[in-house]
Amino acid sequence: MIKIKSVKMDAFDLITYPAVFFVFLLFLWMLLVYFTNSLPAFQREGLNVYLKNIWIASEIPNKEYYGILAAIWGSLYTSLIALAIALPLSISYSIFVGDYLPRKFKEFMIIVSDIMAGLPTIIYGIWGAFFLVPFIKNWVMDPVYEYLPFISKFSQKPASGFSFLSAGVLLGIMITPFISAVVREAYGMVPHTYREAAYSLGLTKYEATKILMGYIKPAIISGVILGFGRAIGETVAVSLVVGNAFNLSANPFSPGYTISSLIATQYGNSFIYEHMTSVLYAAGLFLFFIGLIINLLGIYLLRRWRKNVSL
Amino acid sequence: MSEFAIETEDLNVYYGKNHVIKNMNLKIPKNTVFAIMGPSGCGKSTLLRSFNRLLDLNKIARVQGSVKLFGEEIYSNNTDSIVIRKDVGMVFQYPNPFPHLTIYDNIAIGLKMNKLVKDKNEMDSRIEWSLKKAGLWDEVKDRLEDYPSNLSGGQKQRLVIARAIAMKPKVILMDEPTANIDPVGSKKIEDLIFELKKDYTVVLVTHTPAQAARVSDYVAFIYMGELVETGKTGIIFTSPKSKTTEKYLMGELV
Repeated sequence: MIKIKSVKMDAFDLITYPAVFFVFLLFLWMLLVYFTNSLPAFQREGLNVYLKNIWIASEIPNKEYYGILAAIWGSLYTSLIALAIALPLSISYSIFVGDYLPRKFKEFMIIVSDIMAGLPTIIYGIWGAFFLVPFIKNWVMDPVYEYLPFISKFSQKPASGFSFLSAGVLLGIMITPFISAVVREAYGMVPHTYREAAYSLGLTKYEATKILMGYIKPAIISGVILGFGRAIGETVAVSLVVGNAFNLSANPFSPGYTISSLIATQYGNSFIYEHMTSVLYAAGLFLFFIGLIINLLGIYLLRRWRKNVSL
Repeated sequence: MSEFAIETEDLNVYYGKNHVIKNMNLKIPKNTVFAIMGPSGCGKSTLLRSFNRLLDLNKIARVQGSVKLFGEEIYSNNTDSIVIRKDVGMVFQYPNPFPHLTIYDNIAIGLKMNKLVKDKNEMDSRIEWSLKKAGLWDEVKDRLEDYPSNLSGGQKQRLVIARAIAMKPKVILMDEPTANIDPVGSKKIEDLIFELKKDYTVVLVTHTPAQAARVSDYVAFIYMGELVETGKTGIIFTSPKSKTTEKYLMGELV
């Protein structure tokens, strides 16, 4: 008791300190669980778990062999497609809401996009599977195959719309509300004086807006990181549209897997096989690391920015 | 060509239902420093922003009447506000170089986007020229690639002046340029304003009569959105016609 008094701990500290400690402990605990459970897979296959595209699920344990490279590729590929769609959309949306919409509609649009951000992902998944996938098949894939003979020479006629592209587009739609919330807030907070400065130089609306976008670049970076994190971790919706096939292909029309959709779809039957569970843990561990790297990169970029620029 | 840089005729500005500038008739001669003074909230900044159509940015602002820039009406339907602003540089109350651009790029960006220079060499020499004119070159020539965050308030303001000069405008509008600057920095900027009138017409909004007395050739006193009195600075300060002006100069009007 005397010791506690000497470091001046009051009741508030006593309540909050354990909470901080607990969160950190949870983090370590999860990491530990993932690591110990994926250890058997590493002992059996080494880094081939990540570096090979192979999936032999056999009831004879000796024949089992797993490599999730295709799923890693699928995760990165679909997330990048998603960003390529969501980023321009979010920036345009933010400019439109900030500069053009009258106040009444502005609030309405903000509410709509916030609702979209909070929708359960299965809603996107069902919509994606029953509407988006056939739409992309009929209006993107088939026309491209038919009217661009150069492409059709090198690939087969797409069998269905379940593909990297469908997953990427769906993810893009899903993360747009997140990225645009960040960008919109930042754009709304640009001091009026910088706007005046840009226009006073005789710049057009487009040119002035471009300067202001440079001003909020840190927010755009945060938004991208947030969106990428969401996209790479998204599970249910993606597994409904991505096609779930081991496919190490750059063709956006081919079906594939993502890490999370692989875990979700294989988890149910993993108990039949001797070594599969451990591999799924290893897959989860990889996702863990991607998340960590993305966040560290984000922190690094923002730090470097703040060092140079004090806004 | 008119002998006046800026002429206003029955100029009225409204913010929504608020009548901010009332029947303003001003004539600003070329190559002079013209000070607009008055207590805060009298409409000085609004008046200044009507000279380069920066009021267009304000959705509720409405302008009636006429503003002529070197004899040409800037509020007619076929004038482009963007073209006008290339001739009218502006310096603001809060020193606002773009914080995310280097010192070099702060000046370069307007030139680049308006395609006013043809190559890197010309850009370099134009930037050096404008920084020298703004009296900032010696202080920043070794750190043009730094960000402006390390500059003092006065240096930032001179950078903004350099940014405006680089565009080679005809008129420079200054909205209380020393309001947020320390006394030493303010002195430098006032000296600079005195220099600038050789090449440009400077319209200076100020809330301190002393500054108007120090740097301006002509002065207009504005009160509650109305022009009270205008004329040569020496005359207004020594023998004002209006009682309101006299009160303001005595410091009795806030």
